[in-house]
Amino acid sequence: MDGPAGATRAEPETTKPQMPSSHPATAPEPAPKVEAEGRRAKTIEVRDVNLFYGDFHAVEDVSVKIEPNKVTALIGSSGCGKTTFLRSLNRMHELTPGARVEGSIELDGQDIYAKGVDPVQVRRLVGMVFQSPNPFPTMSVYENVAAGLNLNGSRVKKGEKDEIVERSLRGAHLWDEVKDRLDRPGSGLSGGQQQRLCIARAIAVEPEVLLMDEPCSALDPVATLAIEDLIGELKSRYTIAIVTHNMQQAARASDVTAFFNLEQTGKPGRLVEIGATETIFTSPSEQATEDYVSGRFG
Amino acid sequence: MPEVRVVYQEELERLEASGLGGLDLVTAALGRTLEAIEQQDIELAQVVIADDDRIDGRYLEVHQALITLLATQSPVATDLRLISALLHVLKNVERMGDQCVNICKLIPLTGNEPPADEEMIELILTMGRQTRTLISQAKRAFEERNVEMARDLVRQDDVVDNLNRECFGLALAIGDDPDRREWAMTMLLAARAIERIGDNAVDIGEQVAFVVTGLFKEFEDASHPNE
Repeated sequence: MDGPAGATRAEPETTKPQMPSSHPATAPEPAPKVEAEGRRAKTIEVRDVNLFYGDFHAVEDVSVKIEPNKVTALIGSSGCGKTTFLRSLNRMHELTPGARVEGSIELDGQDIYAKGVDPVQVRRLVGMVFQSPNPFPTMSVYENVAAGLNLNGSRVKKGEKDEIVERSLRGAHLWDEVKDRLDRPGSGLSGGQQQRLCIARAIAVEPEVLLMDEPCSALDPVATLAIEDLIGELKSRYTIAIVTHNMQQAARASDVTAFFNLEQTGKPGRLVEIGATETIFTSPSEQATEDYVSGRFG
Repeated sequence: MPEVRVVYQEELERLEASGLGGLDLVTAALGRTLEAIEQQDIELAQVVIADDDRIDGRYLEVHQALITLLATQSPVATDLRLISALLHVLKNVERMGDQCVNICKLIPLTGNEPPADEEMIELILTMGRQTRTLISQAKRAFEERNVEMARDLVRQDDVVDNLNRECFGLALAIGDDPDRREWAMTMLLAARAIERIGDNAVDIGEQVAFVVTGLFKEFEDASHPNE
């Protein structure tokens, strides 16, 4: 967890159905400006973004373009702001009391922080998978996947819902393992299966961007590799940004790597370097990147 | 921030020193090879041949340790380039040692009192001394990560190549005596082996540039000499 002391990680939206409506920035009607139609991976353009927790300046002056159909890994030591940055990409950062965002973040040219944009809608287009698998414990496998559909307020017919659940579970490489126990609790699955269930839940609402915050840190190596394979497949349909502390995972699973660093404790984190993963891990431009990926400094 | 992975760094430094130390073994082997040529010393030639096991042993030992580092430490960036380069250098070391063996195997073939041509012997010895300088320079360039010094190896190697061509000219003009012609042909093989050692030194220089810049490019492309 990268936030400073006192900055609590907000639970994922899907575990707190009441959260979006309680958020002060949630816009009322009319319809959101960020369109949900024409499903395809989108480019995230970040310009001069500064992130704060109250008076604490957590992330400073980040400008970066996150390309569609690529996996972008965010790496850096603890406290460098990479998770905070990730959470700003779907307006989850602002859920922390006192947290605020300066600068602009555009999804295919549409400012997700523009006045009138519904953060709930943003989070539907920009899905998130968290560090620890967090299926709803009392819900069945089926209900877990369908939960996002219900949360969106849209009425989906049963037959259509069945199709979406199956498609999402197949997309998350979980269908064959759970098709005979869709009515069993999601919490009864193994850790790796639970995380794939959460990915199925995230993609059920057909987002255009998937954010993943250390999605494998609680998984064993085999489950980790299965998730990495899945990430590799999902990028053909989504823009993916993944925070990881595992540098070999960044090297294996990402196309682009962004290195965040902070000069010293208490200072804001900054984006030091972003480039093709191959370049970052063979010939990085910055000495700080070199030292970090080489594991020379903690 | 505290420095970490100290043991790994020390191991990598030790392996670099050990791998490059293989070049010292080659320099010594080449020195004895030249002495064996000059003195027509068949016994010394046998020593060089037997001693090549040390060079091969160094190759195997460092190569294995580098593979272990790759498997266990996941080196990246400069460390990864260094290990990749050292694997190349080790191969060069092993090949240079083999070339010394090749030369030493030729020495008994020319007999105890060969019909030697002094001028050609002197040319080959000059080639050999120049090549020893190249090996030392390649080692130093690697240790110092000095790309300029590495690039200079090409110029030095041109000297060796020119001497090799001069040897060829002398062999052509050696006369009609079958024994002298046979001797000259054999010595041309020795000259060729020395010339190849020089090429290996230049290859090491290219690895220096790779470690420093992250880009591999031949200093001179033999198949496209004008590019």
